[in-house]
Formats: sequence, C-alpha cells, structure tokens
Amino acid sequence: MAKSKLPHTEEDLIHAEEENMHMHSAAEAKEAIEEAVDVIDNNETAASFFKTKIQEPILSFFHIVRMFFPESEPHYKEAKYTRAELKERFKKRLANMSPQEQRKLKIQRALSWIWPIFRAAIVIGLCFIILYPLIFMVSTAFRSRADMSDPTVLWIPRHFTLDNIRDSANVMDYWTTFKNTLILNIGCSIIQVFACAMTGYGFARFNFKGKSILFFIVLLQILIPPQIINIPQFKFFRYFDPFGLASAIGGAPINFIDNPITMYLPAILGNGIRAGLFIFLFRQSFRGLPKELEDAAYLDGCSPFKTFLTVMAPNTSSTFLTVFLFSIVWYWNDYYVSTTFFTNFGIMALKLKNLDATVGRILFGNSVTIPPRDLIIWLEAGCLIGILPILILYIGLQKFFTEGISRSGLTGM
Amino acid sequence: MKKPLASLKNMSYERRKGLYGYGFIAVWFIGALMFLLFPIFESFYYSLFNVTPETGYMNIQPILNKAGDTDYFNNYVYAFTVDPNFRQLLVESLENIALKLPVIVVFSLFVAIVINQKFKGRTFARAIFFMPVIIATGPVYAIITGDINTSGNSSAEQFSTMFEADMVDQLLEFVGIYGFGTRFTEIITTITSDILNLVWNCGIQIIIFLSALQAIPSSAKEVGQIEGATGWEFFWKVTLPYVSPMILVNIVYTAIDSFTDPTNGVMERILDVQSEWKYGLASAMSWSYFGIVLAALAIIFGVMKHFVWYENE
Repeated sequence: MAKSKLPHTEEDLIHAEEENMHMHSAAEAKEAIEEAVDVIDNNETAASFFKTKIQEPILSFFHIVRMFFPESEPHYKEAKYTRAELKERFKKRLANMSPQEQRKLKIQRALSWIWPIFRAAIVIGLCFIILYPLIFMVSTAFRSRADMSDPTVLWIPRHFTLDNIRDSANVMDYWTTFKNTLILNIGCSIIQVFACAMTGYGFARFNFKGKSILFFIVLLQILIPPQIINIPQFKFFRYFDPFGLASAIGGAPINFIDNPITMYLPAILGNGIRAGLFIFLFRQSFRGLPKELEDAAYLDGCSPFKTFLTVMAPNTSSTFLTVFLFSIVWYWNDYYVSTTFFTNFGIMALKLKNLDATVGRILFGNSVTIPPRDLIIWLEAGCLIGILPILILYIGLQKFFTEGISRSGLTGM
Repeated sequence: MKKPLASLKNMSYERRKGLYGYGFIAVWFIGALMFLLFPIFESFYYSLFNVTPETGYMNIQPILNKAGDTDYFNNYVYAFTVDPNFRQLLVESLENIALKLPVIVVFSLFVAIVINQKFKGRTFARAIFFMPVIIATGPVYAIITGDINTSGNSSAEQFSTMFEADMVDQLLEFVGIYGFGTRFTEIITTITSDILNLVWNCGIQIIIFLSALQAIPSSAKEVGQIEGATGWEFFWKVTLPYVSPMILVNIVYTAIDSFTDPTNGVMERILDVQSEWKYGLASAMSWSYFGIVLAALAIIFGVMKHFVWYENE
C-alpha cells in the first residue's frame, strides 16, 4: 500500500482493502488493515470505525482460507456465450478493425482450420512409413508359403498359419538363445551402467590433472568405429595372456573366443558397447546436481565413494534407468561385436543374421534351394520373434526411452 | 604403509578430492588402455607393415620398395592408387553423407516441431517416431529392407515408386524445364526413393530436437506473442536460435552415425579386405578413412560454430 497517500475517506479504505485482496499472507493483509484503521481512529470517524470492526475479521478469514488454496480459481467468472452470440461479438470486433488487421485475422482463422488437417496427414503418413516394415513383418510371418506367390494376397493372409513361427523358433533354437541373450544382456548392462556411472561421476565432480585429455579419450571412444580396432581386440581374446601369466601357468595362452567373458570384461572395465556415450550422459546428469548435496554428505563424514552410492546415484536414478534400457537394447541388437567374438555361442542377433542360411539347411536339407521370395516368410517370422521381447519392453517403458534423453541433460550442454 | 597416509593428510582438501577422482575413473582407464588405446596403436602399427595372421601370432613383414629400404606408407599409397574400389567408394560415401546430412537435419527439425504441438495422440506419435531406434540397429533392419525389396509385393513397389524421380522430372517438364541435368535428378532420386531409410534414421535426432524445443523459455514465447510475430517469424527469430546448438549436435551425431555404419560402402570394402587376411592394408584403409572423417567433422564444426547462438553468452 502506498504510504504517501494516507486513507482519509471510506473510499480510500475500500480501495486499500481491494489491494489487500492481492496480498499473499494473512499477516501482511492484517498489518495493512490495522495501519489503515489506526489512521481512521485518529480521525475519529464513527461510521468507518464500525465498518472496519466488521470487515477486518471477515477479510482476514478470507485471506486465511486463500492461504490454503494458493492456486485456486480466480474469483470472477468467465462470461459464457452461445455460438450465435460469439459470432455476433466477432462481427462487432471485425467492424472495428482496419482492413489490414481483418485480413490478418482471416488468414489466421483459415490457418487454424487447415493446419491440423495438414498436420494429421503428415503425422499419419510418416507413422505409416515407419510402421510399414512391421506391418509387412506381421503380415508375412503368419502366411503360408502358397500365399507368397498369390497375387490376390496383399496384407491379410489367406491361409493363416503358425508354422513359420514354429519353424523359425526351431531353427533359431529360440528358448536357449533367448535365455543366453537375456542373461548376457542384463548382466552386461547392469555392470556397464555402474562402471559408466562411476566414470561419469569422476569426470563430473572432481578436478584433477589431465582431466581434459582423459575426457578426450571418452570422445574418442564415441568416435572410433569398432571396425578399426576389432582385429587387435580379437587377438587379445584369442590369445589371452596378460603379462605372460596364462602361458606361465597353463603353458599356452587362453582362448576366450565363444566365451561370454569377451562381453563381460569390457563391460566391467567401462568399455562395453557404446560406453563412451553412456559416460557422457552420466557426466551431464551428475553435473546438473547441486554442489551442496555433495558437501552436506562430506560434512557428515561420508567418503566420496559412499557419497556417490548413497547420495548422488539415487538422485540421478532416471538416468540410470535410461542408460540401462538403452544398454539392453543395444546389446540385444549388436551383431558386429558379437560376430567378432562369437562363432557358436547362441545370441539372438547372430542367429537372426545367419537365419537365411540355416533355414534352408535345417528345414529342407542341403540339396534343396528355396527361392528367396519363399524364404521371406521364415525370415520375417524369425525377425518377429527376435524383436518381440525388445518391442514389449519398449511399449511398456516407452516413457523412459523418449523422455530419458531429454531429461538426461544433453540439451543443457 | 604409514608414510603415504601421512602425506595424504598433509595435502589440501581439494587435491585429496582430486585423487579420489582418479580413483573413480581408474577402472575405466584400465579398460580404455586395454580395449581402446592399445588396439588403436596396434592397428596403426599394422597399417605400416604387411600383416598376415598365422596360428598363434601375427606375421608382420616390412614392405620393401625397389631400392630395398622399408617403405612404411606403401599400404596407404596402395589403397589410394592401386586398389580398384577404395577411392571411388570413399568419394561416393562422402557425397552420400553430404547429401543426407542436411536432409536428415531439416526433416527431423520439421518433425520435431510438428510433434511438439498439442494434438490428440501426441504421445503415441512420439513413441512411433522413436521406435526405429529400438529396432533398426540390428540385422533386423537388413532383413526388413532386403525383404521389402525382393518381395515384389505390389503395394510395396507402388509405395517406393510413388516418390521416385519420374514424378519430379515430370513436374519439372510441366513447369517448362527440360533436361535440367541427370545429375540433379539423380540427387533427387537418392533422397526421395529412400524415404523409408530417411525416416528410420531420424529417431535420435527428432528426440534431441524435441527436448531442445521444450527447453525454449516461455518468456521468449510470450514476447513473440506480444510483439505479434507470425509463426513464420517466430520460427526464424526465436525457435531457430534456441535450437541452433542442437543442430550442431545433430549434425555431428548424424555424420558419425553414417560414417561408422557397417553397411557404408567404405566400411564394407574394409571388411572385405580384412576377410582376405590383408590386415595391414585393411588397417591403412580404416585409418585414412577415419582421418578423412575427422577432417570433415572438424570443417563442419568450424563452419557451424559461427551460426550457433548460446543464450548465456
């Protein structure tokens, strides 16, 4: 309330009360009213004195109530008009406008009609393009072989059959493969998430010599295609011989090809599939946390590692989940790294890659060659059961995939 | 045991904390040495020699030139001058990326702006646009695209020819431009006939743009409304500056993604050479390819840096 203009009349008092309506706390309002009342008391106007005696408790009660509903609806009601009235009002508005404004308004109105239709067309069209391969996959996976060369069959199979699924599952040795892949994926992902989180935390929260050079190595990890370094890596695992220990004990280097350790060891050491990207994401999200959080933990006597585990990690749990999910998906889909290290170890991606060769051999023997057009039904059936677990995971946890990237602080760089 | 502890205690708090930092990244650093740095140097070493695998070891022989001296760069010279495909594939893949890059970035920005608006089924649309990221990375993608091409499914053919360059040509002729150049139509064809590929490669980029769009402060939007900016003006004056850092990120991401794609022509050639057991030559090829990629990225980064606007500066 403006102090320079003291309230002298009733009108001024009412004005002051109206202003009080917008004040936030009851105490503030009360103070202002008391101030006004004091002034009036001094003026000794009996009528206004009486008014304030009634109004003061009512007003303070009103303010107390409003305190409990801080964002309640505004106390005025919006006027409601019927369609005809709205049109009438719009016409009146138009009449008061210059021709330029009228034209602009008309264009705006036209756009607000056309754009949603246009947008719907684009979105539906693009969604169709994206879903097209999936629709095709489902459509062919349940077809019989005869339907492939039947020109009347477009989408809905004439002879619905589950044989392809069964055959492909047999050829891929589905349940064993599924179990192998799942254990390997979840194991690697959990280990990888923690290794990357620790590294990301080290880069985000500590200052040490050579940090920028070391972080450059992380960027290198993102940049370097695995094709460049896979021969030395293959050699490393084929003739595994750290410091000559293995040959000293066992007489020869150990062969780790076809052993899951070729996946686990890089994951433990923070160099699994796309580890560079994950370290980067973790660094970004740890940087976003307030410094006070960490300092409080240190003051309470936490060691840095305990601080990381009990204070910082729970605060970035959404990043942990996102990285874990992406890690699972990328391990599931990876076939480049797995084809380097695995030749016989059953992994879903590997089985899918070899499916076109194995289907013919196992189902029909070596002598029969199947035309590629007929082969499609088994390939697509294999694809369908191959991606089904990931697809279910995605449908169930879709929010964490799409929002995870935006929430991880990538855009806050 | 006592002495290092004593010296640790004498250190300042900050320096002691710094040591813990080394502790946090130590595990990763050992891994990086084993699986990244050492392999990098090893493959560079291979690229200077004639390397063939033998059981139990790599047979590394120096390449001699006519004078009988060791010629370290013979593999590199061979890759660029003698190898029948390498140079051509290199140029092709660089061209391809130069074409794809702007299309992917513009397209994903457009899609992000559309999905960012409020309409029914928005979450559903977002889920679908991101789905290729979940599926497209594996052999599944190879099977899907291969099958759609070989199936001869009539609707599939209609679908892909719908966008092909005939239409563009006819359109140009209709407007009155004849024989504009086969090169131009070729470019259009590579972009339009590949719309499936385009859409399937944009998932991450769309999400990155989407989060950048949502990070535009509401005060900027209000200012736009109060000043009476049209949607067009708003896009150029507000949206684009705010999104520009992410344009750079997306360009770099797209470039890396397509350079390291195993279905890329150069990558295929390198793998072919590897399967012929010419490890030295394969390493030389991948190193020169990687060098060119790095140079291209540096140029893109250097040029784009001038067009990026940061709010805090």
